[in-house]
Amino acid sequence: MHEEITWGLLIVIYLFTAGLSAGAMVASNGALLLGGERYERISRWGAYIAPFPIAIGTGMLLLDLGSPLNFYQLFLRLQLTSPMSYGSWAILLFTILSLVYCYLWLPKNIQVLKVPRNSELWLRRLAKVMPILSIIVASYTGLLLNAASRPLWQTPLLPQLFLVSALSTGVASVILAASLSRRWRANHQELHVLTVFDAVLVATELIIFAAMALSARLGPLSQRLAFSELISGQFAGMFWVFVVGLGLVLPLILKLVELKGDVPAKWYNSIVVGSSGLVIFGGFFVRYLITYAGQLHGWVR
Amino acid sequence: MTVRMGFVIITSRCIDCDACMVACRAENSVPLGCTRNWVASSGIKGNFPDVKLAFEPGNCMHCANPSCVAVCPTGASQKRPDGIVMVDNSKCIGCKYCIEACPYEARFANPDTGKADKCTFCYHRLEQGKLPACVQTCLGKARISGDLNDPNSAVSKLISRYPTRLSVIEAGTGPNIFYIDVPVPEIPE
Repeated sequence: MHEEITWGLLIVIYLFTAGLSAGAMVASNGALLLGGERYERISRWGAYIAPFPIAIGTGMLLLDLGSPLNFYQLFLRLQLTSPMSYGSWAILLFTILSLVYCYLWLPKNIQVLKVPRNSELWLRRLAKVMPILSIIVASYTGLLLNAASRPLWQTPLLPQLFLVSALSTGVASVILAASLSRRWRANHQELHVLTVFDAVLVATELIIFAAMALSARLGPLSQRLAFSELISGQFAGMFWVFVVGLGLVLPLILKLVELKGDVPAKWYNSIVVGSSGLVIFGGFFVRYLITYAGQLHGWVR
Repeated sequence: MTVRMGFVIITSRCIDCDACMVACRAENSVPLGCTRNWVASSGIKGNFPDVKLAFEPGNCMHCANPSCVAVCPTGASQKRPDGIVMVDNSKCIGCKYCIEACPYEARFANPDTGKADKCTFCYHRLEQGKLPACVQTCLGKARISGDLNDPNSAVSKLISRYPTRLSVIEAGTGPNIFYIDVPVPEIPE
């Protein structure tokens, strides 16, 4: 029997970075397919961001292994009962394809390797495949925790929570990059579209948290105890202040103010940057909380 | 009929001497700070003079549907045909997923090997016709092991004669340790 934390900060960083990458990729793909030239800066920034956070996260995963040199065992087979097994394949595929996608978006003068003449077509093809892969990468982590039969992690809404949180942090990272950049600065319309999306995602995340709390209340004793750690226990401060307050409610208010459109011009940029930064900050603590609080409680014997 | 290895643990016979933990550590060279088996205490219940204290020894339940085997991404965690749940160290990458997934917290990360570690039912002793070290050493005969599918085994006889209890059935893994809490005056052969 053990009381200590088995999966720690390295796993939290992975869960967060993989989600952010997947979200940035979906934003890029969506902008390319639906907006084309109009949303070019969104597609570009999403493509530039996507491959890197997940690469860092995968490095963290390797560091966490007790037997890292054995990691190739993951890629000798596919175990369908293990979310970690199909998740590993999904991460591998996502990372490779997102690097290709990123490369195709680079300015022509720094593309060292020759790209095919019809690279535009290949970008569009990739943009149709990547959202599926991104959704798998973003939500399998919820299934991963679901399958580790711990009371808090057995909440059926965990994959949805992780997916929505991943998309919102990804979109927020694109907003940040595209509003701070000089060369590929997003125009007003692009920022508006992204902000609408992020506001919807953040609101959805709030609803999912409420639904999780409700289903935990109606669930077995083990689950009620585990969830009460978030609401009123050891992690209550982090949950209410970092996740709900700073990570969801405040950015939602800022984004709604921003969308209403009567923000003085000199404040506009700070609000855009601030609200998106908060969404990313909150997204990190969503993973932190679920990972740590989930390990606080086992089954009541 | 296939063999299905399991334990009967009689809590009324356990005096919390922890000899099972010492025997397991000696037999299997389990690193200090980790253990493959345990003796859980209920804590003192009730008020004087009506007080109770019970001990519940445990180890890997060698479940019928082990979640540790299901979640293992490399196939290192396996269930043998005789029901014993084992870790193949050559395939284990040390991801600790099985440790998270076990509702009984029966596994740990071995600090020497970096691999998942757990009770092996002393399969190397079974091959020599011996009992697991914890069962062999138990002075109160609180730990009994054997083939649950053999009606003539001591475990089967005990299960048929006394009321039994399973731990954390809501986790749905089908544990193969049967607990008996009532007094058992004699252990069948």
